[in-house]
Amino acid sequence: MTKEIRLMKGNEALAEASIRAGLQAYFGYPITPQSEVLEYFAEQAPKRGFTVLQAESEVASINMVFGAAGAGARVMTSSSSPGISLMQEGLSYIAAGELPCLIVNVNRGGPGLGTIQPGQGDYFQSTKGGGHGDYHLIVLAPSSVQEMADFVFEGFKLAEKYRNPVMILTDGALGQMMEKVELPPEGSLPYVRPEWATTGKAATRERNIVTTLFIEPEVMEQVNIKLQKKYTEICEKEVRYETINCEDAEIVLCAYGLSARISQKAMDLAREGGIKAGIFRPITLYPYPYEILNKLAETADHFLDVEMNAGQMIEDVRLGVNGKKPVHFTGRMGGMIPDPEVIYQEIVKIVGKK
Amino acid sequence: MIKGTVKIASEICKGCELCIVACPQDSLQLSREINLRGYRYAELKDDNCTGCINCALVCPDSAITVYRMPKKSK
Ligand code: SF4
Ligand code: SF4
Repeated sequence: MTKEIRLMKGNEALAEASIRAGLQAYFGYPITPQSEVLEYFAEQAPKRGFTVLQAESEVASINMVFGAAGAGARVMTSSSSPGISLMQEGLSYIAAGELPCLIVNVNRGGPGLGTIQPGQGDYFQSTKGGGHGDYHLIVLAPSSVQEMADFVFEGFKLAEKYRNPVMILTDGALGQMMEKVELPPEGSLPYVRPEWATTGKAATRERNIVTTLFIEPEVMEQVNIKLQKKYTEICEKEVRYETINCEDAEIVLCAYGLSARISQKAMDLAREGGIKAGIFRPITLYPYPYEILNKLAETADHFLDVEMNAGQMIEDVRLGVNGKKPVHFTGRMGGMIPDPEVIYQEIVKIVGKK
Repeated sequence: MIKGTVKIASEICKGCELCIVACPQDSLQLSREINLRGYRYAELKDDNCTGCINCALVCPDSAITVYRMPKKSK
């Protein structure tokens, strides 16, 4: 099978891509706006031979992922904000146990039970921990239906390379949106059962153990040192981002996911109005592209952070810019989507000309 | 003038409001009720639909069926 072009919802494209990426097991629990993922899997599983199970809760699904990942399976789960909150304990265990898996968060407006409309309020939770202890997820932020599919492959690759959980952080609009998507052929991501997988002791090797309990603090510290070494390596090698029109930009809009797409429209409006605007879009939210921001701060005069929350990523933008230039913020909260025209007005206000 | 009406599959609708913007007659609105997924869905607000099918064309999830009937001559 060669590449195939389809018109799909973001959630469905992600699910279809996962099957093509050789998914072996999915455990999940329905929640709007990501239920299509589970529905799509449930429909396809009998025909295409993988395990799909609706668990009794998000807590159960993440622990099923923990178990399957420990056995070396290519495994994933998906949910939306409140459901992802429930999974945080399990995520910390999976990170501590150094197990590869994919978690998808179709972010909706919060806090609390919130709304089912798109949001980006889970940035802190996704990138700064969420669960307990010193751990990190690798976080990928798609901004189109195409990337919803592509990042599944990217996610499994990174997860297996570093033995680390990977999160795709997207939102309700990208999940529900229909767009053209090009799908890679099935089986294009080879799978080898890892040596460390707990599949039963064979006579030929030592027993494989996955544990996250280390009673002696000396040992626990060594585990932490090993984890930190891995995170440093990830930060050195896996930073991904996109810049548009930043070469001559006097103002750089900083945004990820859906906000980045909306910001593109605002950038076009600004350029039409004679203001040189550019876009910086982080693709990996962890590891965060600090270095390029610092470089952009040499040439740009202003940074405008655009988010669908009260301003979370702005802290990382500030760390990158490191005081060289002012960093401003505009955004909407609770499931509301920023208007490009309003962002443009904000740009005009900051740059002080039209 | 052709008189029309629409039937909207409320369980398929995701409340994106594209049809509401597309309707030249301003005939559509979001419901006060929610569907099983929790979305407010599109519904007919006024009986002034002309059957132009704009709404059905823009609906990404093909949730709208448009019916046309010739206006009764007096
Ligand atoms: S058919 Fe035309 S007039 Fe009728 S509801 Fe749809 S867009 Fe409006
Ligand atoms: S365009 Fe379709 S999905 Fe969107 S609100 Fe109208 S009927 Fe619902």
